[in-house]
Amino acid sequence: MAKDLIFTDKEAEFLKELVRHKVDFMIVGLSAAALQGAPVVTQDVDLWFRDPGDTGIEEALKKVKGSYVSPVGKNPPMFVGTAVKLFDIVLHMHGLGPFEKEIIHCLRIPLGRQRVPVLSLDRIIESKKATGRPKDKLVLPVLADTLTVLRERAKKGRRE
Amino acid sequence: MRISGEKLKDLCAKKNLTLSQLLKKAEVSKNAYYSLARKDTVLPKSVLAIADHLGVKPSAFLEESTEENRWEILLEELEWISALNHHADRDNIRHTLLLLDEPPIERLRRALTRGQRFDLHGQRG
Repeated sequence: MAKDLIFTDKEAEFLKELVRHKVDFMIVGLSAAALQGAPVVTQDVDLWFRDPGDTGIEEALKKVKGSYVSPVGKNPPMFVGTAVKLFDIVLHMHGLGPFEKEIIHCLRIPLGRQRVPVLSLDRIIESKKATGRPKDKLVLPVLADTLTVLRERAKKGRRE
Repeated sequence: MRISGEKLKDLCAKKNLTLSQLLKKAEVSKNAYYSLARKDTVLPKSVLAIADHLGVKPSAFLEESTEENRWEILLEELEWISALNHHADRDNIRHTLLLLDEPPIERLRRALTRGQRFDLHGQRG
């Protein structure tokens, strides 16, 4: 497995810095689903920020030698730099409430040496349903089956 | 069953590591380690209760996890989840169970590695 090639300490360091600077953010999308056990593929790690202008983001970027590129025309804002090239900035989640309401559905999942906020799988499914894009429709059965496994394990855990 | 600091330090020395270096490499925080090291037992209460009822030490019924019994457990779980959820795809359940056996960072790495290798839908996401 290409363990040493992808999502190394550099990327983990950026998330750690975001947490350290108390930036309100959460991992969303298929990366969030993968962290919860979904057998999916993705090319990036989507980060949803309460306030993309939070100065803590700039501080975290400085620490990992990354930078922020403001949105231009139809191009969304993005991060540039080796340590942050896997991350995409999400400004809105289809089918979900505002950040402040969705943050309560976050799990704190250990990633490297810190726990990071990750949107729960049921909310990711709601969002994928709302977008209606073909690629999201394709992945919905996989996400639903993963949720089934998590719920069965939770039920079993409660019984034991 | 508790953590032996002495034994752990000896094992570290054999690998030319300090305890701090080991914890860093293992991605275990010092807080988590010292919290475990202070405990009289690192075993879950349920295991101790079972041992107590049998009048034996937990080591009497514990064994090293092997790839084989890991698979047995996984297949049992696959069977009962599939039996209760006919609508669910067995392959999806099996893959999910396998991934849940990995630490979250490994699950993410696998998803990203496959995503970078195969752009399945011709789009990012």
